[in-house]
Amino acid sequence: MIVSRSMIVFKNMLLSERKNNTAQNLKVKLRNEPYLIINIFFAGVILVIFAYSGIFSPEKDNYPVVCIHEKLTGQPCVSCGLSHSFSLIVRGRVEEAYHWNSYGMRIFLFFVAQLVLRVAFSIFYLKYPDTRKQLIIVDCIGSGIIFFVAFWPFIVSIITGVLSTVS
Amino acid sequence: MEEVKNNSGQNLGIAALITAVITFVLAVIPCVGLIAIIPGIIAIVLASVGLSQASRSNSPRGVLIAGLIIAIIASMISFSQIFVAGKIVKKADNWPNNIHNIINDVQDNVTKEIEDAHVSIKVESNGEKVEINTNANKKDQEKTLENLEGVNIQKHDTIQKHDSIQKHDSIQKHVIVRKKK
Repeated sequence: MIVSRSMIVFKNMLLSERKNNTAQNLKVKLRNEPYLIINIFFAGVILVIFAYSGIFSPEKDNYPVVCIHEKLTGQPCVSCGLSHSFSLIVRGRVEEAYHWNSYGMRIFLFFVAQLVLRVAFSIFYLKYPDTRKQLIIVDCIGSGIIFFVAFWPFIVSIITGVLSTVS
Repeated sequence: MEEVKNNSGQNLGIAALITAVITFVLAVIPCVGLIAIIPGIIAIVLASVGLSQASRSNSPRGVLIAGLIIAIIASMISFSQIFVAGKIVKKADNWPNNIHNIINDVQDNVTKEIEDAHVSIKVESNGEKVEINTNANKKDQEKTLENLEGVNIQKHDTIQKHDSIQKHDSIQKHVIVRKKK
């Protein structure tokens, strides 16, 4: 009886040691791989955005983030209604989302694409260590292009605003 | 001899890059672009401290430089929005005066147009026709008033209007409206 008990204790100790080792290995891996840390962090941020859209409802209109541009100038900006739009998209009411902000869908898709890319690139990064540099370059260029395509209307509005005030 | 490289400043570089990218995304959204200057400055500080550490210990600086560049661009975008908003607010301060001037202009234009206006309204209903002719010509009005009242009308600062209404079924009405300015 005593022997079997001690065996169980020994097994448990071994298992806990293994767990500690794997956790330490993971920590060391993450320390040496900033790309993975960045990917995990961005995935987390995107999930927080989706959670924000899910928690705050368009019916209650209880969004904590308000348009500072509108508060200062009294004029609505291009991105007004984006939170409403995101909330409606999360709830599957796409047509209503278009009414709140016509660019909401493309920006939402940008975040969805980024979430998928973060996971996919992280897996590729770990699976194929020989192509890491190329992977990072492809990721940077691809994400940059997607970003500019998604946010183009906002960028244009900023540029025109600056140009009009300068002239 | 091989150069010994350590990772001092690397954590700061990662933090700077993450903050810089978030700042960039925020800066491009006009609603929150104005407050993106705060994380932008934080990212610049993190990257600068990280760079100084990295240069001391000869560690890699790729992430730090990337973070610094993105943070500077994002901060510039954010600052440009502050600049634009400030200009709009300055212009908005003059809006009440401008609106007052516009209202005065419109009032003057309307008054001038009314002085020489000739309005004709025809109404048809069940075979009956009613025609209303209004001539707002100032001189004509004065003459008509003189004829009607047989009294000389003082001009001074008053605007007189004369509306004459004619009805085809032998009904004629004359409406004289005097309006003080």
